Order: sequence, then structure tokens, then C-alpha cells
Amino acid sequence: MTFNDRIFGVLLIALAVAYGWGATQFPEPFGGSEGVGPETFPLLLSVVLALSSLYLIVRPDPDNAWPWSRTGAELLIAVAVLIVYTALLQPLGFILSTLLAVGTLCWRMGAPPVRAYVTGGVAGVVVFLIFNFALDLALPLGPLSVLEVN
Amino acid sequence: METLGYLIDGFGVALAPHNLMFALFGAFLGTLIGALPGLGPSNGVAILIPLAFTLGLAPETALIMLTSVYAGAMYGGRISSILLNIPGDEPAMMTCLDGYPMAKKGKAAEALAISAMASFMGSLIATVGLILVAPILADFALSFGPAEYFALFLLAFATLGGITGKNPMKTVVAACLGLMISTMGIDNTGVQRYTFGVLELYEGVDFIIAIVGLFAISELLFFIEDKAGGGKEKMTVNKLSLKWSDIRGIMPSSIRGGVLGFIAGVLPGAGASLGSFIGYTLEKKMVGKKGYFGEGDPRGVAGPEAGNNGASSGALVPMLTLGVPGSGTTAVLLALLISLNITPGPLMFTQNADIVWGVIAALLIGNFLLLVLNIPLVGIFVKLLSVPPMFLLPIVTMVAFVGIYSISNSAFDLYFMVAFGVAGYVLRKLEIPLVPIILGLLLGPEMEKNLRHAMDISSGDWTILWDSGLAIGLWVFAGLGLILPYIMGPLLRRRMASETKTVSEG
Repeated sequence: MTFNDRIFGVLLIALAVAYGWGATQFPEPFGGSEGVGPETFPLLLSVVLALSSLYLIVRPDPDNAWPWSRTGAELLIAVAVLIVYTALLQPLGFILSTLLAVGTLCWRMGAPPVRAYVTGGVAGVVVFLIFNFALDLALPLGPLSVLEVN
Repeated sequence: METLGYLIDGFGVALAPHNLMFALFGAFLGTLIGALPGLGPSNGVAILIPLAFTLGLAPETALIMLTSVYAGAMYGGRISSILLNIPGDEPAMMTCLDGYPMAKKGKAAEALAISAMASFMGSLIATVGLILVAPILADFALSFGPAEYFALFLLAFATLGGITGKNPMKTVVAACLGLMISTMGIDNTGVQRYTFGVLELYEGVDFIIAIVGLFAISELLFFIEDKAGGGKEKMTVNKLSLKWSDIRGIMPSSIRGGVLGFIAGVLPGAGASLGSFIGYTLEKKMVGKKGYFGEGDPRGVAGPEAGNNGASSGALVPMLTLGVPGSGTTAVLLALLISLNITPGPLMFTQNADIVWGVIAALLIGNFLLLVLNIPLVGIFVKLLSVPPMFLLPIVTMVAFVGIYSISNSAFDLYFMVAFGVAGYVLRKLEIPLVPIILGLLLGPEMEKNLRHAMDISSGDWTILWDSGLAIGLWVFAGLGLILPYIMGPLLRRRMASETKTVSEG
């Protein structure tokens, strides 16, 4: 099967066209146009990309299998965990969000749940302490800030 | 003689107590990174860059620490090759051939010690080579004009896949993607390009975010897919009993391997894999029937290991003198230089002489440190090797998050990093190499600048790009870099494959 490269090649050509069209829309730089304006290099790139992706369509490599079903779901979970981790980092604080994120990742990768979340918690506390005290860099504490000794 | 003076100054920088401390720290960390599963050298160095900033290190200290990490990672890679028959990275493949049989015969400690010494010899030879060759190349590079630089950048991209590379067109695609990302942001005439009105994009994409995302996050996803979370079998290492004559026996192999590796490292398109491969085959030819290669001949460990380390130090030559890295890890080191506001290239040898020579001296010192670290501490590294990835990778990912977060304290950068990670996963599935993307991101602005300069000089005449003999030569080599893999690639790959196969079967 050689669908991957072909589909990707088509997408890339679309990207090359959009990118090249984008380059023609740049406003003229202050002081008039020069030999090489802001659009020259991007236009060059879009041509090269279009030609090389055309090659991918004509002479594709054999496919690597995509992980569907279970494994695919695990991957989506992992990406979701990373996104939620980012979103919770400020409101929930570093230690709690790390406990959740690292714990969940360890667990989904096959660790027993208790050990997974203990690892997450310990990692969170250790890194927090290193950053706040040794490196003098404040990571957000979130609701745990009530514990802070002033 | 001038070089010697600079080198002595460099030792002055590298031997300053705090620099020495960070070199030791970096060497230890590097060996760990090389030994641990799922943390290649480029990945490890990339994650450590933001941390080097958070520590507020001086440029030379940061660079010394990360070059030690780089050197250490090359040492660490051999541990899993020898003990588990699993090469940490591609160049370590050849070390498996005789290293693993040695370990099976109960000579794991000897194999590790021999490979440490061979690595040391390889790096030492290559560092001496670097000291001799780099200033000459830097002087020569001063005569490069913008057109030559533009062609040189093309050469760098064209040879990045190496002559053993699979599909050079995919390298071209990857390089284009990287260069395209580098054009985002406000360009130097003040025009906004591809910012889509998003404030965070005005300054362009921070390549550190891209590197960490592409390498670290995509690695996590690959481990999840392969369900490789479980640990490896416990390993035991016997007590070391090495005689002086054993060490003497591998010295010629190490020296040959080191010299070959250095040459392979300096030349564009050869790289460490070819260095260790040539090192191994040459050893086999030289020793001939007297050897027992493939069955645990120590010379078969020493040759490729010296070649591998020689090549990785050799790869620093084009990076430092021309600003053009020849491998993934040196590309990451280039990223560090650029973010420290040091313009790599020939001028660095005059403008930042203290830094360059400090780093070179640190490389020499780092090698001694690594040898001292590696022989007694190998037990610790072996223990750490059995940490299962299911605990390790989430923690590494978290460290990557903290590092990126500490640069700007913005969640936007983290989302961006995750996006790069997913993209990296998809691209690796499609066998689009990631290193040209990184290189494109790094070299894009310089490449465009040189194109503009060349055009300004010729007032818009494109033929200036291939007007000088030097530029034509660079274009020809760039062309060869793309064409040769089609002719030589299948041949060389088959030879490398049959070599590894006959040995592992035999």
C-alpha cells in the first residue's frame, strides 16, 4: 500500500500553493521594492516543496501501518493528557497537575495505578522544590499555596 | 603556534572551577542520557537547553556543559549495545556485533572497559584533529561571500540524509517545511509574514519549542504505540579483570577507528554510522583470519566504537567553523549557540575565541572525565538502564514541559510544543526525517539573509549564485548529495545489513 505518501503529497502541494499565494499578498515593504523582497524566498520554497511533493505522489514509499483501535485510542489519551496538563498548569498549580499528568501517563503506559500516581506526585514535588529553591524560579502553586510558609 | 596560545587560554576557561563542575555534571548526565532507553543524544541535549537558560549560565559554561552532555551521550550509547544487543542509536549498531557476544561469554565488564577506552581514543584523536583542522577551515571560510554561503546551506541540507539515506526527496520536503516555519514572523524589512494576526507569532517560532516538541513528545508517543513501557531484563556485570596487554592489543584498532571516524565526521554526508561501519570492516580486513570477529573479538568492539566517537567530535568541525551542522545533535548544539546570540561560523573563531577554545579544551577535559567516570561507575549506569520506560518517559516529558514553561511562562508555548510533538509523530510515521526540519528552522533566517545580500550585490541577477568556482563546486556537491543515495544507498545499506545479519546468525 502506498497511500500515506500520496495523501501527504497532495496535502503538501495544497500547503505549497497556499503558502506561495500568501507570499504574493505581502504588503510592499517600506521604501519600495528591492531585488529580493519579503516574498522572494517564500516563493522559492513553495516551488521546491511543490516539486518534491509531486515526486512523493509519483514515487511513493510503502506505508507504515497506522495504529487504529486500542493503541490509537491510547495515543489520543496521551495527547489529551498533555493538553489538559498545559491547561491545568496555572489554575491547579504545578504539583497537583504533574501528579495527575505524569501519573496518568505512567499508568497508561502499563504501570500499576498506585505506583504510577506516587511516581507522579514525587516527581512533581521534587522538581518543584528544585526549581523554587535551588534555581529560584517560581512555578505556579495553585490551591496548594495555602500551605506556603510566609 | 597561534593555535596553541588560544588553546592554553581555552584551558584557562575550561579549568575554571565552576566550568569544570558543569563539565563533570554534563558528562555524567550525558552518559545517562545515552544509556537510557528513549533518550537519544539530540533529544537529551534539546531538553537540557531550556534548563541551561533557567540556570542562568554564562554562554561558555552552558556550551561546555552541553558539549560534555554530547560527548557523554556517545559513551552511554554503547552500554545497551553491549549488554542488551540493543543499539542506542544507529552508529552504535556495529558495537553490538562483537560487544554482545563478549557479554554473553561473561566478559561484559571487559567489553565495557575496552569500549570506554576506544571511545576515549577516538574522541581524543578527533579532538586533536579538530584543533588542527578547524582554524584552517575557518580561515578559508572567511573568503566565502553570500552566494557561497547560500550554496553551502543547500549543501548542508542535501547531504544531511547521508549517502546511506533512504529517500532524499523526503529530506527536501522536510527541509522546505523547516524553512517555511522559519519565515513566520516579522522579517527584517518589517513585513509581517504568516503571523495570521496572532501576537505570539510576531517573533516567529522559537526553535527550542519546535525541537523539544518534535523529539521529546513524539518519542513518548512512539513508546506508547510500541507498548515498550515494560522494563528490560536485569543485567549483571562481572568483575573487571583487564590486563595491560589487552589494552595494548586494542590500541591500533582504536587509533585506526578514530582517524577514520574523524574523517567521516568532518565530511558532509558521511556521518557517524558510516564512520563506525568503515571502522569495523577495516578492522576485519586488517586483522584477517587471525581475528574472531562476530564472536566477541575485542578489536571488533574497539574499532567501531572509536570510529563512532571520532565521527561525533569530527562533526563539530563544520558546525563550529561554517555554522553548518552535519548531524541532528550538532544541529541542536547550533540551536544553543544561536539562542546564546553567538553567530556560528568563521567569525566566531576571532570574535568569540574564548568560547570556541574553551569548548574545545572542555572537550579534551571531558574525555578524561568520561574515562574516569565510566570505568568505575559503570555499575550505576547499568542499574539505571533497568528503569522501565513507563516511569522514565512521563518524567522526561514533564521535565520538557517545565523547561519550556520556564523560558516564557506561557501556556501558548506549551500547546505549540504538543502540536509539534503530534506533527513529529505523523512525520516519523511517514518517514520524513525530522533533522532537516530543525536545520531549516535554524538556518532559514541566515539563508534568506545571504540570498538578499547576494542579490543586492548583483542588483537582482540570479546568476551570481553560481558565479564563482567555489560556489559551483558547492552546488555540484549538493547535487551529488541528492543523487548519490539513489545509486550508492541501496548498495551500502545491503552491505551493512548483510554484515549485521551474518554475524548475528553466526
